[in-house]
Amino acid sequence: MRDFPPTVTSFWSPAGGAGAREVAPPPDTRGPVRFLRWTLRQQGPVVWVATLFGVLWQLPLIAGPWLFGWSIDNGIVPGDADAVALGAAGLFAVTLVGAVFGIALHTLVVRSWLISLYGTTMLVTRKAAQMGHVLPRRAPTGEILSVASSDSDEFGAMTEIIARAGSQLVSFLAVAGIVLATSPRLGVVVLIAAPVLFGVALPFLRPLHRRQQVERSRNSELTSLATDIVAGLRILRGIGGERTFRQNYERQSQSARAAGISAGVWQAVIEALGVLFSGVFLVLLLWLGAREVVAGRLSVGELVSFLGYGLYLIGPIRTFFEFAQKVTRALVSARKAVAIFEPEPPWRDPDRPIPLDAVGTLVDGTTGLVVRPGELTVVASAVPEDTARLADRLGRYLPADTEPVAEAGDEEEAGGDRRARRAERARRRAEIAARDAEKARGPWGVRLSGVDLGDASLAEVRRTVVVSDTSSQLFAGTLQDAVDPHRRLTREQAEEALLAANAEDVYDALPGGWQGVIDERGRGLSGGQRQRVVLARALGLDAPVLVLVEPTSAVDAHTEARIAERVTRVRSGRTTVVCTVSPLWLHHADRVVLLEGDHVVADGRHEDLLSDPAYRSVVARAMDDEEVAR
Amino acid sequence: MSATLEDSAATWSDHRADPPVIDPRLVPPTGASRSERLAAWRLRHHLRRDEADRVYAGARSPDRGWPVADDRAVLRFFRELIGRRRAMFATLVLLNALAAGTGLVVPRLLGELVDRTVDEAGAGIAGVAWLVVLVVCLQALFTFLGQVVSTRFGQDLLASSREFIVATILRLPVGRVEGASTGDLVTRVTRDVGTMSRSVQFGLPMAIISLLTVGLSVVAMLLNSVLLAVPSLLVISTSAVAVRNYLRTAPRGYITEGASYSRINTTLTETVEGARTVEALGLSDHRVRQGDDDIAVSAQAERYTMSLRNLLFAVIDVAFNTPRVVTLVVGAWGYANGWLSLGQITAAVLYVEALSGPLDRLVGELDRLQVGATSTARLLGIAEVPPDRAPGDALPDGRELVAQDLRFAYREGHDVLHGVDLRLRSGERLAVVGPSGSGKSTLGRLLSGINRPRTGSARVGGVDLVDLPLEVLRTEVALVTQEHHVFIGTVRDNIVLAREDSPDEAVWDALRAVGADDWVRRLPQGLDTRIGSGQQALTPAQAQEVALARLIIADPHTLVLDEATSLIDPRTARSVEGSMNALLEGRTVVAIAHRLHTAHDADRIAVVIDGRITELGSHHELVDREGGEYAALWRAWTS
Repeated sequence: MRDFPPTVTSFWSPAGGAGAREVAPPPDTRGPVRFLRWTLRQQGPVVWVATLFGVLWQLPLIAGPWLFGWSIDNGIVPGDADAVALGAAGLFAVTLVGAVFGIALHTLVVRSWLISLYGTTMLVTRKAAQMGHVLPRRAPTGEILSVASSDSDEFGAMTEIIARAGSQLVSFLAVAGIVLATSPRLGVVVLIAAPVLFGVALPFLRPLHRRQQVERSRNSELTSLATDIVAGLRILRGIGGERTFRQNYERQSQSARAAGISAGVWQAVIEALGVLFSGVFLVLLLWLGAREVVAGRLSVGELVSFLGYGLYLIGPIRTFFEFAQKVTRALVSARKAVAIFEPEPPWRDPDRPIPLDAVGTLVDGTTGLVVRPGELTVVASAVPEDTARLADRLGRYLPADTEPVAEAGDEEEAGGDRRARRAERARRRAEIAARDAEKARGPWGVRLSGVDLGDASLAEVRRTVVVSDTSSQLFAGTLQDAVDPHRRLTREQAEEALLAANAEDVYDALPGGWQGVIDERGRGLSGGQRQRVVLARALGLDAPVLVLVEPTSAVDAHTEARIAERVTRVRSGRTTVVCTVSPLWLHHADRVVLLEGDHVVADGRHEDLLSDPAYRSVVARAMDDEEVAR
Repeated sequence: MSATLEDSAATWSDHRADPPVIDPRLVPPTGASRSERLAAWRLRHHLRRDEADRVYAGARSPDRGWPVADDRAVLRFFRELIGRRRAMFATLVLLNALAAGTGLVVPRLLGELVDRTVDEAGAGIAGVAWLVVLVVCLQALFTFLGQVVSTRFGQDLLASSREFIVATILRLPVGRVEGASTGDLVTRVTRDVGTMSRSVQFGLPMAIISLLTVGLSVVAMLLNSVLLAVPSLLVISTSAVAVRNYLRTAPRGYITEGASYSRINTTLTETVEGARTVEALGLSDHRVRQGDDDIAVSAQAERYTMSLRNLLFAVIDVAFNTPRVVTLVVGAWGYANGWLSLGQITAAVLYVEALSGPLDRLVGELDRLQVGATSTARLLGIAEVPPDRAPGDALPDGRELVAQDLRFAYREGHDVLHGVDLRLRSGERLAVVGPSGSGKSTLGRLLSGINRPRTGSARVGGVDLVDLPLEVLRTEVALVTQEHHVFIGTVRDNIVLAREDSPDEAVWDALRAVGADDWVRRLPQGLDTRIGSGQQALTPAQAQEVALARLIIADPHTLVLDEATSLIDPRTARSVEGSMNALLEGRTVVAIAHRLHTAHDADRIAVVIDGRITELGSHHELVDREGGEYAALWRAWTS
């Protein structure tokens, strides 16, 4: 039988090597219901076996009251010790069966829950690997992460409730059979009263849920406030404002407290009603039963067993209600999951990809930029977005020109035509996807050694042209892994990369040298330190063509001068493009290109270009910006 | 070149000695005999327990980040909180005891009903039935009141605890806040507050209620029939060892599980947020593998707690259900001898059934309380950070800022400043330049009174900056870093930070000074508009203007700008330039500069190399200095 963690091979399989596997078919994303069915299929027989075990686990509850009643009638009342022994043995036997299958059920329920939970998280990771930078164009990051962290849990909960509700349905029917066979009259009372008892609590559930929703939203606002205070703590402790924000937090805390109490009061109403109705039900049952006993239509033992069944039957009905709730929540989650898993990468590799010759001229058709092999070319532009766009083109990335369409929040929006809104979102998503596909599949417009990047395989483009842009991120791990994530470098190579990026001070500042720990996203390092480690990592890749966007924007002039000089030396003989306006880079460049909008307006050596007024103004503009901080 | 990297060879790993993610002994053997399989399972269970102990120890005494309090502090904290609500606590106990007590009368009366049916052919059953209805009504009423009080109690306790934590965070020493990473604090105010909430809000009241119910049930059982109660209670008590073992080990297991899930989330968040980086560097395989590794580790934690629960269930499922059998056998014997009535047997069965629920719950809540205690210990640890200053009474006489013989070390024995002397002239612009790691940011922090120098002093008007009360210090010197966080709150909240009682006119004046009054006036509720994450969005330029208006309100005579060029986004520089000038006008400014043109326009320039000021003078003096560091750099910049 399947076990956790599951094996997931949809969307992505590790490249190359003996371990390479076929990519499995993707999940069924034709709709939320189909997706949930697909999720269940991934369980194999686990959920169904769990259902069977669940029935056996309930055996003491199904058979117990009957056995007890039988023992009273046939053993205790007539004083038959053998019958008592038999009844007790039977009761002990079902207790043992219940305990054994209780453990078996628990094991399988944990298993099915985790297969769904881990499986969904693994799917999201693989989807991110498959889509790369295109994924954030399709869905907001927060939604992608919440599919992995909270929706996955709903799918797990669904598998559990299916097994539990399934087994309780079976035992409910069994108990119904027993009570009807014993006393049709009382049986009908039990079978009708149990759902009615539960039903009377239903009208109170709606106000409770409404208040719980308010409580949840106030609590999450409260968490945002606390996180916000911590995020701005340096300012609050440096400049002030502790009282204001402490009071803001206290106000929100008190309003969350009030919401919690108001939800708690409704919860108390429901609990009290539960006590009242089940108590009254028991009395009613016993009173009716007593009259039946007096009339000779029922034995005492049967009366006692009815008491047991009356208590038991409230359980399954509560479970059926829970089933409806959890499946609804799973459907909402499935809709979010479908929005993440449905999009496909826009890229299509050509049938016969042309291999790239890295030692060749790189030409951008749009701007007319020409990068000669083995040279350091610096691209200067007054507008950072222009160079960012150029760098995206050189590396064959889709430009940052769209906002993802959010899916979440629908269940909170009251009223209106939900279906129409859903359709509208789907339409907008399809539109973006179509636009991306069109861009991705035609000729790309950038040629390396005369070959359009669109005619090569995307994997080869990524290997040949490495773009390290301003969004480059550090990952948690050791400094060694940050500089050498592929674990391909020798120590000497890594040292060379680290020193070229002038990041020795990061090495010195972290206890443990290469094994020093870097927190997630490089938190704990200063902006300048992060930037230099990112640069060291890019240099360590030793890419045939390296494009660096503003690689030293957060470091001081001394360091920048050193980096420019060392990087030039380390990259000598290989094609390097640096986008910056810093003079400290410019005069190391073999060639400087001035970009205006999407056009190259001048190129040459820095010294020669200085006579060009347009060039001077862009380079001087870099200096202007500093003056404001005087 | 490599001589500068100390211990590089010693700390570099070739990954050959890396342990596997999952210890191979944690994989069940195939084709082994039954006894071998059992031994292998025991070994796996012990390995998982060791891991849980390790994670728990890490949560209780982390080697990095903020301190963690001990168990005694947690107990003291809650004792104090409960002590302040003694009346409410007493009401909670009383009402829930009444609810449990009335609930326990019902089985007795039902037993009475059975007896009358059997022995007296149903005489007076209607009267008993009505009595039960009355008792049930009372029980429902007490349940309602008891639940309301316990909700109120739990929510009060929770609100006080979290408000205490946030107030503590807002009192953290300035020096520590400036230096430390906030990641650990974020984890504490989100995950640990969440865990604490669950145990304070539900765990504590529920544990009290369950305990009351269990205790009263035992009493009721004994009152019903000692003969029936004692054997049942003995059978139930056989589970004590298993329950104790579970309670001793399980909380660590759940803490380990929780840690494994936050690791999964952290890795995935990095993968998704850094999707572009992952793709650009070809790291997809690594990220997928790392995600799978995290899940494999988490699965081991899940298997551990699953085994612990199974071990517990095996015992309590039998121990809590067998009393029915015992009641049957003892009941038959007692009935045969005339010591017991059928009604007593019925009541006893109802009691043992009613006892297993609260017992189960009690075990679960004790579990939850222990997990919550660990989180609470981590939260209370924040309060154990000692204050870094004890403000004196002396107030500065004058505005002159003088630094003498400043030395400072982050790690003992590693001074980053080696005796810096500096006298700021009132109203001057001083640029500080130097390579990264030279100590210029540290100098800025000492000059703004964030940290206390190891030797020497930084004084304003003759008083040490670090001896000034914070509210005075803030109006003398302000350190401006690259952060321009916009807080969740109103526009006013975001601006009045340094002088929280500022009237609206002062706020408008500040906004006008930075040129932000127009757009603020156009906001839906003016100064009362809520801004910050998730509220009314501001453009980067507007966010910068808010940050500048804060400083206008603070109105310090001296500003230390560290990397403040990054405060100005190049894309918005033009519009913010004027605002910045409005702020700097008439103040003494120390600008720690990235760009040389900042230095060019300053009145004086200090070049900091290796923790010393090596050059100090105007641009022209320094450029003309033969062989000077600044002169060389300037030539490189302008050539």
